[in-house]
Amino acid sequence: MPSLAQLASVFFRTGNTTLGGGDPTMAVLQREFERRKWIGHDQFALVFGLARVTPFTNLLAFCAGTAWIMAGLIAGIIAVLVVTIPSAALVIWLTHVCEIGATNRWAASAIGGCVAAAAGTTIASAYRIVQPQIRKSNWIWTAAIVITSFLLSRVFALSPIPILAIAAVAGLFRNHT
Amino acid sequence: MNIFLIYLLLVKATLTSFSVMASLPVVRADFVVHHHLLTDRQLNTAVAAGRLGPGPNGLYVVSVGYYAGGVPGAVAGWLAMITPAFLIIPMLRFIGKRAENPRFKSAIQTTVLAGVGLLLSAAVPLARDAVTGVVSVVILIASFAAIAFTRIDSIWVMLAAGAAGLLSLVV
Repeated sequence: MPSLAQLASVFFRTGNTTLGGGDPTMAVLQREFERRKWIGHDQFALVFGLARVTPFTNLLAFCAGTAWIMAGLIAGIIAVLVVTIPSAALVIWLTHVCEIGATNRWAASAIGGCVAAAAGTTIASAYRIVQPQIRKSNWIWTAAIVITSFLLSRVFALSPIPILAIAAVAGLFRNHT
Repeated sequence: MNIFLIYLLLVKATLTSFSVMASLPVVRADFVVHHHLLTDRQLNTAVAAGRLGPGPNGLYVVSVGYYAGGVPGAVAGWLAMITPAFLIIPMLRFIGKRAENPRFKSAIQTTVLAGVGLLLSAAVPLARDAVTGVVSVVILIASFAAIAFTRIDSIWVMLAAGAAGLLSLVV
């Protein structure tokens, strides 16, 4: 079983230096764990699968789950802390810079470019989430759910939580029939 | 604003989203539409700031917390970001492989799809705010294409967009 310091070191290095988001980071972590024989393949597969159905950031759930299996609850907490604290501090600084920069012509122009890109990447995120579903045979169901939730929000101004709840019930019902 | 309330509003968004950006509509509904703590421009900037650095996805909620309540708000945002991750521990202990149940997976998959519709709905006012001229339209389309159709990391897209914004002043 790895020590807390060893675990913290691996999660800190990998979590804060790997570009590309969750999947590349989980791939690097898998390689690190297998090299050190810290976790079995079945355990890894179980955590990987459950991280996919844990809300919000899959990577953080993956870190908490693998560290918990390897060394207990404290390890799970430490893994999440070392992966998030440095990058969260960087984001606070970047936000502060953006806030100050809004009054400078040059900085405001650069921030304006980033803001336009943020809007573009937000729409691209929607596309990337839905793309694997379109490729499968259930594209009609996919389109129906996406369009209905869009209309409920945009046209009928229904708040997001009830829409998500309706979708969850629809998903249960669909599988049941 | 009360830091605890910032945490509650953000954790409501993170706990009900099965992908990071699916939380954006909930955040916008609470922080921009209902409580007027952020503008659409600030929410867009938060998304940009969250994508500019390395580390896990979802860091934009830290930036949202910072806009709403300064550094304590950012800490509330950070806590809201990490809270859902710990759900995996009881899931591993008590649910295990039963999470592979088709009904459970179907419910989650449909929720994710509904999140896409909500994300597109939230993206409309954000895009409207971001578009200030021809250059911003080109940046928006190019960044969409780069993220949707290539494997370029979002950091490079953001840096290129910032450089393009600067160039637009020079040219």
